[in-house]
Amino acid sequence: MADPIIKVIIAKPGLDGHDRGAKVVARALVEAGMEVVYLGLRQTPEAIVHAAVEEDVDVIGLSILSGAHMTHFRKVKELMDKEGLGDRLLTGGGIIPTKDQAKLAEAGIGRLFGPGDDLQTIIDYIRDWHRSHPR
Amino acid sequence: MKSKIEFWDDFFKGSRLACARLITKVENAPALVPEIRDRIIPCLRGAVRIGITGPPGVGKSTVTASLAGLAVKAGRKIGIIAVDPSSPFTGGAFLGDRVRMQNLIGNPNVFIRSQASREGHGGLSPTTPYVADILDAFGFERILIETVGVGQAELDVLGCADLVVLVLQPGTGDVIQALKAGIIEVADLILVNKADMPGLESLLDALKFLFDMNARPKAKPIPPILTASALNDQGIDELQAELEKLIEGQASSGFLKQKKLARLEGEIKAAIQNEIWEKFRAAAGPEADIAEAAKRLDDDGRSPYDYIRDLGRRVSLKFTTENPHGEHRP
Ligand SMILES: Nc1nc2c(ncn2[C@@H]2O[C@H](COP(=O)(O)OP(=O)(O)OP(=O)(O)O)[C@@H](O)[C@H]2O)c(=O)[nH]1
Ligand SMILES: [Mg+2]
Repeated sequence: MADPIIKVIIAKPGLDGHDRGAKVVARALVEAGMEVVYLGLRQTPEAIVHAAVEEDVDVIGLSILSGAHMTHFRKVKELMDKEGLGDRLLTGGGIIPTKDQAKLAEAGIGRLFGPGDDLQTIIDYIRDWHRSHPR
Repeated sequence: MKSKIEFWDDFFKGSRLACARLITKVENAPALVPEIRDRIIPCLRGAVRIGITGPPGVGKSTVTASLAGLAVKAGRKIGIIAVDPSSPFTGGAFLGDRVRMQNLIGNPNVFIRSQASREGHGGLSPTTPYVADILDAFGFERILIETVGVGQAELDVLGCADLVVLVLQPGTGDVIQALKAGIIEVADLILVNKADMPGLESLLDALKFLFDMNARPKAKPIPPILTASALNDQGIDELQAELEKLIEGQASSGFLKQKKLARLEGEIKAAIQNEIWEKFRAAAGPEADIAEAAKRLDDDGRSPYDYIRDLGRRVSLKFTTENPHGEHRP
């Protein structure tokens, strides 16, 4: 049987007002054959995880440019664990210093991407993760 | 029968995640559909399914969200299925309807599920009816089904929904021409959304003209035509009141029951076809390689019926009802 289609939710927590980057990534994932639930701007961690539960997604992708990545990623991860989504991938992008990335990785958060990463890298990463985490 | 789904208890205890996971099974694991149908159908509570359809961008999601917001305020539990198109080239889908449903975020009395249309060509996914039943069994009383934004007659929603709302917006007068032959004939209600935009009167005139010309089968009454500005929650009270009136009428005339039976009938036929197909494949073995058969037929210039007759002489099917969910191989 063919691999099941990967379902991803893309959201932008926090108050900063641009979702161009998030939309570009969402479109790229769609073109790579994924089903992408797009939540849009200014989502609270609670709202994101609530939607992720209803959509039963494989992957949550956050776009965070506001600098508040530590709190947002940790909070979303905490809520995911609480709501039974501990086995799903939390990943995302923004301008996130390497040392913060390391800390977030320790907290169980997946790879984080920056402006220098190309879209194919993100697609490959999600595909590889999905393949190695069947459910 | 051993269950292949380990979270039924959670589902019946009201776990939203279990509900969501069950929907995923229906979407991704066709082999589990019989078990799911066996368990869900006895638990149906008679939720009314309301289809929301219409051209792209007319405000279907906004209307759906506003209507749901009103209904939950009145104490109802609302399930929403929002379908967006799958790309025929990549199989991917951009599911963006939730962006317009921010007013419902986190509401425990609402359950929103986005679906990609996948192999469905009629504005829904082939599994949408099953998803509606899962939400019904889970306890939602009204199921709002937003179709893919369509310009042409996309009629899957008719089979799946008890009531169909066609949403239009000012400036879509030309679209009416395209719709004329299709869904406009069967819409139970027409909602002209974005009434705050210019062109309202001419659209209403066009609709009136259309119905004066008798665009509908005689048996069907002319649908109510309402106006709304869903973005401002205007006209949604009236929409809800009109829908409830229609639902009441349909319930008392036995139409809802009829619709339910028609859905069941369709599923029985599909299940029989499916069952026979599986049995046939098992019995015919390599003979059932249809791609191979097509090549041979093409080479010989023969018709498919020739192949079927030939096969019918060699393969015989036994139809048993034992072992309902297992693979049956003689
Ligand atoms: N002016 C005005 N704009 C509206 C109204 N309702 C919705 N819109 C806007 O119309 C646009 C499309 O609305 P949606 O609800 O996404 O439309 P849709 O029919 O669900 O679109 P698709 O699912 O993509 O086909 C959005 O920008 C809405 O804000 C309204 O009553 N008045
Ligand atoms: Mg929509």
